[in-house]
Amino acid sequence: MKKRCKIGRILVYVLLIIAFVVSVFPFYWMIVGMTNSAVDVVKGKMTFGNQLFTNLHTLFTSFNMTEILLNSLKISGLTVIGTLIVASMAAYGFEMYPSASRETAYGLLLLSMMVPFAALMIPLFRLIVKFGLLNQHISLILIWVGSVFIIFFFRQSLKTFPKEIIQAARVDGSGEFRTFFFIVIPSIKSTYAAAAIYSFMLSWNAYLWPLIVIQTDDKQTVTLLISSMSSAYFPEYGVIMTAIVIATLPMVLIFFGLQKHFVQGMLGSIKQ
Amino acid sequence: MLKSSTKKNADRTHNAYGWLFISLALILISVFMFYPIGHSFYLSTMRTKGIVQQFVGLNNYIRLLQDPMFILALKNTFTFFLIQVPIMLLLGLIFATILNDNTIKFRGVFRTALFLPAVTSLVAYTILFKMMFSSEGFINNLLMNMHIIQEPIPWLLDPFWSKVTIIIALTWRWTGYNMVFYLSGLQNIPKEIYEAAEIDGAGKVQQFIRITVPILKPIIVFTSIMSTIGTLQLFDEPMNLSMGGTTSSTIGPGNSLLTLSVYIYNLSFKYVPNFGYAATVSYVIVFIVAILSFIQFKVAGDKN
Amino acid sequence: MKKTLSLLVAVLLVLSFVACGNNTTQPPADSEGAQTDKGEMSSENSGKLTIWAWDPNFNIAIMDEAKEIYLKDNPKVEFEIVDIAKGSLEQKLHVNLASGVTDGLPDITLIEDYNAQKYLQSYPGSFADLTGKIKHDDFIDYKVALMTLDGKVYGVPFDTGASGFFYRTDYLKQAGYEAQDLNDLTWAQFIEIGKTVKEKTGKAMLPFGLDDGGLMRIMLQSAGKWYFDDDGSINLTNNDAVKEAVETYKAIVDADIIKPTNGWTEWVASFNNGDSASVVTGIWIIGSIKAENSQSGKWGVAPTPRLNISGSKNASNLGGSSWYVIENSKNKDVAIDFLNKIYAGDNDFYQKILGDKGAVGSYQPAQTGTAYAKEDAFFGNQKIYVDFSAWMKDIPSVNYGLHTYEADAAIFNVMPDVYAGNLSIEDALKKAEEHLKNQIAQ
Repeated sequence: MKKRCKIGRILVYVLLIIAFVVSVFPFYWMIVGMTNSAVDVVKGKMTFGNQLFTNLHTLFTSFNMTEILLNSLKISGLTVIGTLIVASMAAYGFEMYPSASRETAYGLLLLSMMVPFAALMIPLFRLIVKFGLLNQHISLILIWVGSVFIIFFFRQSLKTFPKEIIQAARVDGSGEFRTFFFIVIPSIKSTYAAAAIYSFMLSWNAYLWPLIVIQTDDKQTVTLLISSMSSAYFPEYGVIMTAIVIATLPMVLIFFGLQKHFVQGMLGSIKQ
Repeated sequence: MLKSSTKKNADRTHNAYGWLFISLALILISVFMFYPIGHSFYLSTMRTKGIVQQFVGLNNYIRLLQDPMFILALKNTFTFFLIQVPIMLLLGLIFATILNDNTIKFRGVFRTALFLPAVTSLVAYTILFKMMFSSEGFINNLLMNMHIIQEPIPWLLDPFWSKVTIIIALTWRWTGYNMVFYLSGLQNIPKEIYEAAEIDGAGKVQQFIRITVPILKPIIVFTSIMSTIGTLQLFDEPMNLSMGGTTSSTIGPGNSLLTLSVYIYNLSFKYVPNFGYAATVSYVIVFIVAILSFIQFKVAGDKN
Repeated sequence: MKKTLSLLVAVLLVLSFVACGNNTTQPPADSEGAQTDKGEMSSENSGKLTIWAWDPNFNIAIMDEAKEIYLKDNPKVEFEIVDIAKGSLEQKLHVNLASGVTDGLPDITLIEDYNAQKYLQSYPGSFADLTGKIKHDDFIDYKVALMTLDGKVYGVPFDTGASGFFYRTDYLKQAGYEAQDLNDLTWAQFIEIGKTVKEKTGKAMLPFGLDDGGLMRIMLQSAGKWYFDDDGSINLTNNDAVKEAVETYKAIVDADIIKPTNGWTEWVASFNNGDSASVVTGIWIIGSIKAENSQSGKWGVAPTPRLNISGSKNASNLGGSSWYVIENSKNKDVAIDFLNKIYAGDNDFYQKILGDKGAVGSYQPAQTGTAYAKEDAFFGNQKIYVDFSAWMKDIPSVNYGLHTYEADAAIFNVMPDVYAGNLSIEDALKKAEEHLKNQIAQ
C-alpha cells in the first residue's frame, strides 16, 4: 500500500511537471521571441537574443503603441467598472426579490448567451451608428457591460448570502440600495475580484466587434493591432512577439494581483 | 407584516425594487442582445444579397439541409465538441483533484501555471500556436530531435492533423480555466469524506469516481454547457490558424477547420453577402445549444 | 483585500482619464501634412478624403505618393489613408454598406478585382458611377470590363496582377537550364524542370499552398476560362480548363517538387530564405522578392506556363485591384477629381511607382515611359517591365462573376482527396459542383 502510494506520488508529480511545462512554455517562448530577430523566431531559436530594444523600438515607432495600449486599458477598465455595477445589481435583483416574471426574464437572458456573436453583428452595427457611436470607445464598452455570464456568476455567489442579514438591515431601517452598496458589496468582494478578471479578459481580448466599430488607427486596441500585424504583410516576428507579450502582460498582472480573491470568489460563486 | 394591507404594500415595493435593481442590465441587454436577436430572426426569413433582399419565409431553413458546406461545418464543429470538450474537462477534473490534495508541494505554483493560458488573448495565442506548429516550427524540431518522428508532421497542412492542432490549442487554452471551477467546488467537499473512504480501502481512482465526480456534478454540467456554447461559437482559432483565407481558399486544408461560426462569417463577409442565410445558420446554432444543454441537464439530473 | 480592489479601481480610473486626455489633446497625425502652406494657392478643392487600402508596402505607399502629388495643386484637401488588412477591410466594407449608413465609410476604397461584381451587385447605388468622368478607354480592357455593370463603369482601374514565372537563375543554371529554356513552357514541362532542379540542387521548385487557389486561378485565366460560363452559371464538370488545372495541381504535388506552406508569410519566407527555386504568381510579388537584398542579381522572370489545352496562353493574371468612390461620400467630387488627375492622367506618377514599388498600373499611356524600359539589376539586368507589358496584352479576359471565392472553397474542399488519390478527378469535380450548386442556390 505504501509503495503503491509512493509510485503514485511520483507519477502525480511527473504529470504536474509536464502540465507545468506545457502551460508555461508558450509564455517562455514569446518572451524569448521578444528578444530575437524575425529570422531567429522563425527558426525557433530557444535562447535569449539581443534584439529586445530593436524590437521595442520598432514596435513603438512603427505603431502608436503607447496610445493603443492606453486605449485598451481605458476601454477594459471602464468595462470592468460598468459590468461590476450593472451585473451585480441585476444579480441582486434577481436573487433577493424573487418573482415569477423576473425568473422568466432570467431564463431568457441565459438563453441569449447561446446566440453566436457573428449573427448579431449587422443589427448591432446599425444600432451603434444610429446612436452616433461609431468609432467611439463607448460602443466597445456598452455592449459588454450587460454581461449575462457575469450576472449569472454574481447570482450564484449571492445564493449563499445569508438573507437574514438583509432582513436585519431592513428592520434597522436601511434602504434597499444602501443595504446593497454598504452591506452586500463589502461581503462579497472576492466575487467582485473574480468577476473583474473575467470581464477584463472579455473586453481586453475582444476582436470581432472592435474590428468593425473602430475605424481609425488612433482608436485601435491592442488585440486589433496584433491581428493586423500578423496578417499578411508584416513578417517582423520578433516585433509581433513583443506586441503579444505587451498585450498579455496586463492580464497576467491583474490575475496575479487578484489571484487570492479570485480563487475565493470562484469558491463563493460555485457553492451550491 | 402583520396586516395584510401592509404586506401587500411591502410586496409591491419589494417587486418594484426587484425591477429597479435589474433595470440597468435589462435595458442594456434588451438593446444590445434581444433587439439584434429579434432582428436576425427577421433576417433569417429573407434571402439577401447585400442590401437587396427578398422574403422567402422558411426557405432558408429548408435550404440548410441541402447545403453540404453547412453539413461539413456542423460535422467539424461536432468533431471538436465530442473530442475536445471531454478531453479538456477530464484533464481539468484530474488536475483539480490532484491540486486539491494538501500534501502536494508547490500547489499554488502549479495552480497558477495551469491557469495562466486562460489569460492569453485568443488572437495572440492562436498566432503563437501557428508559429509553433508550422512545418519547420518548434514542435516538429523538438519531436525530430527526440527521434519520436522521422518526418515533420504536416500539422496545419493536412486535414487530419489540422484538427489535431486545433484540439491541442483549445485544450491548452481552456483546461486551466475549467480546472479553477472544479477546484473551487472541491474545496467545499469536507476532507472527512475522503478520509472515511480511505479507511474503507477505496483507492484514489475509486475516490475520484465515487466521491469527486458525483459531488461536482452541478459544476461539471455548468462547465460542459459553457464549453458547448464556446465550441459552437468557435471562431478566432480556426480563423487565425488558417490565415482567415487571405491566401487559402478553404478554412484549413479541405475545410477541415470550417466551423459554424466561421461559416456564418464567410456567408456574410467573404462570399456574396447573404445575411439572411447567415442568420439562419446562427439560429440553428442556438437550437443545437439549447438541445445539448437540455440533454446535459437531463443526464446529470437522472443520475442524481 | 478591500484596499487592493479599490486600488485597482482607482488605477483604472486614472488610466482612463489619462487616456481620454490624450485623445483630446493630440491632433491626429495625418492632419499635419495637410495644414502646411495653407491658403498659399487658391484652389477650389477642399475637404477631407478618407481612403481605405491594404498592404503598407504597396497600395498604401503608392497612395501616399499620389497624395503628395495631388496636394501640390490642392493644398486644402486633407487626406487620411487608412491601412487595414485585406480581410478586415472587406468585412468593414460589408458591415458598413449592409447597415445602410455612410458615416463609417471612406470616400475611396480599394477593392480586389475578383470581388468587384459582388460589391457592385450586392450594394446597388453605393458606389459612384464614374462613366464619362474617367477616361476608361485609357485602361486595359479586362480591368474595365470587370467593374462594369449594366453599361456603367464604377471604378478606376489600378494595378494588374499580370503573372510571371519568377525563378532563381543560379539554381536553374545549376540544374542545367538557361533563360531561353524557360520560355513559353507548358505546366508539364515546368514539372519536368522542377524534378531536375530538385534532383540537382535539393531545392523545391515551388512554394505551394495546398489549399491556395491562386495558382489555379492563374491556370484558368491563361485559358480564358473560369469556374463559371460567361452567363454566370456554374461549370466545373464540363470545363476542360478546370479539369486540366486540377490535374496539374495533383501532378505538381505528386512530383514532389513543392515546399508546402501555410499562409502568405511562410510562402514568402520560402523564397526569401532560398528554399524554393521559383514562384509563379502576380507581378506584385516583386516587392517581396526584392526585400531579400542578398539575392540581387540571382532572379529572372519568364512567361507563365500554360495549360495543355487549346487556347491557353503563356500569360495570365492573379489578383489586382481597383479604386472605387463611395456614392454618398461628402467629398465625392474631390475624390473623383483626385483619382482622375493622378490615377487616370499622371504619367510621371506611374513611372515613379513603377520605379519605387514595381507597381504596374493598367493605365496604358504610361506603359511606354522611361521606367518601363529600365534594366533591373535585381533581375540580372532583364528589362522585366517591357516583358510584362508584352505579356499583359495576351492576358485573356475573363468574367469573374460573383462567386469566385465560393467556387474556390468548393474545389479546395475536395482537393485533399484528389491529392491522396481517394477521388478521381471527375468524381471530385462532380462533388465540388454539387457543393457549389447547393451552396449558392440561386
